[in-house]
Amino acid sequence: MKAAPGSALWLLGHELRLAWYNSAVSGGKRRPGIASIIVWIVGWTAMHALAYALLHGLGKHPVDRALLGMLAGLVLLVLSTFMLSGALKACTLALFERGDLDLLLSSPLPSRSIFAVRLLGVAASSAVLFLFLFTPFAHVALFMGWPGWLAIYPTIAALAIVIACAAMLLTLALVRVFGARRTRVLAQVLAAVAGALLFLLSQSFNLIFRGDDRALAQSARGLIEHGPLAPGSPLWLPGRAALGEPVPLLVLAALALAAYALTVARTHRFFVKGLQQAAGIGHVAPRPAGAVRFRFRRSLFDTVVVKEWRLIARDPHLISQVLLQVVYLVPLLFLILRSGDAAGPAIGAGLTLLCSSLTASLAWIVISAEDAPDLLLSAPAAMRTIRLAKLAAATMLPLLVVALPLLWMIVHGPLAGLMVAFTVSGAVLSAGLIVLWVGRPAPRSNFKARGKENFLSSMLELAATLSWGGLAWSLVSLATAPADWVLVAAAGALAGAAITLGLAWLFRRERA
Amino acid sequence: MSADTPALQLRALRKHFGRPAVDGLDLSVRRGELYALLGPNGAGKTTTLRMVTGLLAPDEGSVEVLGIDLARDPAAAKRHMAYLPDDPMLYGKLKPPEYLEFVAGLWGLRPEEAEPRGRHLLDWLDLSKHAHEVTEGFSRGMKQKLALAGALIHEPQLLILDEPLTGLDAAAARQVKDLLLSHVAGGGTVILTTHILEVAERLAQRIGIIRQGRLIAEGTLAELRERTLGGSLEDVFLQLTEQA
Repeated sequence: MKAAPGSALWLLGHELRLAWYNSAVSGGKRRPGIASIIVWIVGWTAMHALAYALLHGLGKHPVDRALLGMLAGLVLLVLSTFMLSGALKACTLALFERGDLDLLLSSPLPSRSIFAVRLLGVAASSAVLFLFLFTPFAHVALFMGWPGWLAIYPTIAALAIVIACAAMLLTLALVRVFGARRTRVLAQVLAAVAGALLFLLSQSFNLIFRGDDRALAQSARGLIEHGPLAPGSPLWLPGRAALGEPVPLLVLAALALAAYALTVARTHRFFVKGLQQAAGIGHVAPRPAGAVRFRFRRSLFDTVVVKEWRLIARDPHLISQVLLQVVYLVPLLFLILRSGDAAGPAIGAGLTLLCSSLTASLAWIVISAEDAPDLLLSAPAAMRTIRLAKLAAATMLPLLVVALPLLWMIVHGPLAGLMVAFTVSGAVLSAGLIVLWVGRPAPRSNFKARGKENFLSSMLELAATLSWGGLAWSLVSLATAPADWVLVAAAGALAGAAITLGLAWLFRRERA
Repeated sequence: MSADTPALQLRALRKHFGRPAVDGLDLSVRRGELYALLGPNGAGKTTTLRMVTGLLAPDEGSVEVLGIDLARDPAAAKRHMAYLPDDPMLYGKLKPPEYLEFVAGLWGLRPEEAEPRGRHLLDWLDLSKHAHEVTEGFSRGMKQKLALAGALIHEPQLLILDEPLTGLDAAAARQVKDLLLSHVAGGGTVILTTHILEVAERLAQRIGIIRQGRLIAEGTLAELRERTLGGSLEDVFLQLTEQA
């Protein structure tokens, strides 16, 4: 049966078709390639195998149903933070990035239907990955005689709808309070923080209990026995619903339906207003003439660096990416300050890994995503100087971000601190050089998909990041407690970093 | 450099993209003239301009800008040129003064030279009141005018424009045309491609028509009329391109 053109169902079909074309499964094509299909089938089969291994163990050693519900609830709670992150990104995309809303809203379709379908689209895009990851458990459980677990399907769908509604309301509220321009950045930052929520929570427990496992366990027991984490707590409702308990499942489904109906009914007009505000992004009230200020520079190097930093500072995707890295850095900084004397191997490795991945992102924006390559080529400026300045612009920022913690580490444990300073510098330079040598020109809007588009560069970046991270771990371990096997590991990591850089040089692209 | 040295001299210029895009093109543009390079779609106009500005390497032939061989000394040749493609080379997240600062840096202008020029260009092109906005919110005309300001900030002797009037409203188009005429009146040279033949008819001192990468006719409008049955430039253009 075909939906009538112009109906909400027809629009939903259009939305799902577009979502399919943009999905990782289709690889951005109308029909996925054989390789893509094989990878996904193998992945899904592996998930079924993993589910079988876990559920088989559960069959042999049955767990109390209340505890199982709590465990499932915990998993779904974790999943919700990632879902919220994805939903916030999808809402930003729906409001600010996708160009088709002008077409839809200028058509005779009611704005309520457009909003309702777009909200379902956000929910579907948030749910799909988790359905892929968790439905194998439902299938295996059915095979093992636990049909109730099929409720994983409606549970994830209901959770995705509730979270999509929350994300849309949050985004629209941000538009109302801060305006469309700031919301674009704020929503990205919130998405980044939501994605890292679990990590931050775990680190906050570490900080509160200062590594005292007994105190942590005692506090957790108190919360589970009498506090908000007790087995009857509404917090575990999704977990019990996923295991097929009818009442929690019905409550969750009703909650999702109510949230969806209320969000559509109460906010679809504000959605249109939000879109109208978003269309005005980039327009600023003119200021009186004569207020123009120039800051021309004498050196080409400085001119390029300043231009790149301006572009980085005004890119909402990059700001959220950098903030996400900084969010991960904050607990590390606490650990550095708390450890007092010398840097631990994990801290050294963590700082190195973070700086490497941050530099790779910045270098991609600065070098590969140059907006006006023809302008640079048509200028009489030396390309070597321009490339050097771009490399400097991409590498200086991560080094500035970690300068203070590094200084603290060097003061409190000179040898270990210097080792970390060496690996951070090496990782940052390697990441920049890899992008410079094997990066391919791409539009800035491809930032999220850059890994898919240049497989070689992504693999070399990953290898370099891991090698330098491993080297940091080994060198700091050697500085604090020398051992032969750590020396071998350090040599291996150094060789890995050198080989990766050598490969990047070998595969470097010819440039004009 | 003698007074007779042409602003641009192309000799047997060739470029193949599977098929010949530019096929042994010889062209000479005098200093201080406005030269219109016309041709049907796919005739090789943009490819020619991209080779002239150093964005594409020719397969064969040579390009001389004010007597400087582009292949031998690209930096010296580029120093005297500015190129404005049909899609302006801007940065969406930069504001107009920041864009001009960057372009001035690329051409190695000293701040004391660049500042008054930048201020004058922004005022002249009516962009000063938008100096605090990033360019991604600009209209097509504003973008084109800012790119033109960038092209003019180093006072190039040879200004090369690919479809400079596409998408501009009447006021912006008039402003750009006035600017080109004033550049030529000041001794500069302008080479432009356009599909709006009335523009070429009204502005150009000489017109070159290329088809399939070859120059099939060249001269003033009067000279081209003599070679054909006459009429407007549109009539002349259609007769020449259909004859060839």
